[in-house]
Amino acid sequence: MIRIEGISKEFKEGIGSRKVKALEHLTLDIHKGEVFGFLGPNGAGKSTAIKILINLISPDTGHASIMGKDVLDKDTRRHVGYLPENPYFYDYLTAEELLWFGGKASGLSSNVIKEKTGELLNKVNLHSARKRQLRTYSKGMVQRAGLALALIHDPEVAILDEPMSGLDPIGRKMVGDIILELKSQGKTVFFSSHILTDIERFCDRVGIIVGGRLRLVDKLNNLLASGNTLEDVFLKEVEKAGGGIEI
Amino acid sequence: MTALWPIAVITFKEGIRNRAVYGISIFALLLLGANLLISGMIMQEVGKVAVDMALSTISFAGLLLVLFIGINLMAKDLDKKTIYMVLSRPISRFQYILGKFLGMTLLILVTLSVLSIFAGLSILMVKMSYPGYFPRFSWSMVALAISFTTLMLILLSALSFLFASFASTSFITLVLTIITYIIGQSISDVKALVEAPQIVGIQVSPLTVKVVQIAYYIFPNLSLFDIKTQAAHGLAVSPSYIFWVASYGFIYTCIAIILAAIIFRRREFP
Repeated sequence: MIRIEGISKEFKEGIGSRKVKALEHLTLDIHKGEVFGFLGPNGAGKSTAIKILINLISPDTGHASIMGKDVLDKDTRRHVGYLPENPYFYDYLTAEELLWFGGKASGLSSNVIKEKTGELLNKVNLHSARKRQLRTYSKGMVQRAGLALALIHDPEVAILDEPMSGLDPIGRKMVGDIILELKSQGKTVFFSSHILTDIERFCDRVGIIVGGRLRLVDKLNNLLASGNTLEDVFLKEVEKAGGGIEI
Repeated sequence: MTALWPIAVITFKEGIRNRAVYGISIFALLLLGANLLISGMIMQEVGKVAVDMALSTISFAGLLLVLFIGINLMAKDLDKKTIYMVLSRPISRFQYILGKFLGMTLLILVTLSVLSIFAGLSILMVKMSYPGYFPRFSWSMVALAISFTTLMLILLSALSFLFASFASTSFITLVLTIITYIIGQSISDVKALVEAPQIVGIQVSPLTVKVVQIAYYIFPNLSLFDIKTQAAHGLAVSPSYIFWVASYGFIYTCIAIILAAIIFRRREFP
């Protein structure tokens, strides 16, 4: 469903300065219908990998595809819903207008957009605030509006970058329920998170990335089989990579 | 078109609801209101002053609109990463630029149309108060002058898009757009001056002449669009001038937007 093959990416740290490796030969296959958790410390390369999948940045080497289509092809995104980390939307638009844009840009008819908007805004508990401009929303409300936007066109693949960030426990439960619902519908969910309990709750498989290199990919059951917690596994991988955890 | 329209609509809505639009409009309306007072105080060339002031107000308000709202509409997308939500849709970079530009053009057209109605009213009221001062007045010249101003603002906006396509911050885009506006307004006069410095008794090095000549062909000649004086004096403008200036504005705008799209295609959004 999602295939990343040997992707590397370097960024310049300002003019004339040294290059920093954000991703190093990342290869990853995510299967249809699975919920995949992408785990890593800050600056590990999670968001870079996700942005390559959305074609916001291009890899130096390697290739990525979704549903068999190259991510460089804009039509690939017809089947992909994306929630960026700390999303920021247009201040003066309402949630309804935001979803209208998402639907129209994805080729939906006005009737379908209207129906899906009501349904999704109810689901993320923003229906009563649907006519309010987004600048009046709290961080959690913006995050939930972003999730509704990502799902307005009923995508086959949901790519969620830190979907729980900035949410209170109720909001986190709401997002969790949506992820489980997507899973029950046979959709593929690829999400990054710092919150290990969320990964444990929702994911079928987990990938741990440290310093731009994928250190481990396995089914969650296998990782926890020896009595370890996900935290133990994660910390061990970070330690093996020679990195520390920012506290 | 399927992708362009939604981008244009949200760009227009985001622009028109910006409080700064109301600020600029109120400021323009105050100036247009002041037109009545100033015309009454001068009591000579009243017609010319009223038309010139009304047209200058529209031009200035339009410039503020492009500089402080238009630039933000695109540059803020990059600064605040709003662009993620747009480009994560099945939308190409070219469609993004074109859709944004269409939205901005719509914003300029709507705002200037509203201001033009008030400008027309202010001229009409002065004309009714002092009919003797409007012997050669022509509404069609006023309309033409506003149309040229609109075209100039659309061109300037296209250039701001070009700058935003490679600039790292909205401030750099703003500075480059202001510099282009200033050079564009004066380059024609400066070229005439450096090519015939003996008229004003100054000496100009050959290098300066060359630099100015190069700048003349790179920067848009925005003074071509300024026919406020002709409109104020009721002087006719030839149809060929209208055709060539309109074509110049249209072609320059298209080139700026195509260049912006080409640069934007290679841009990354980390």
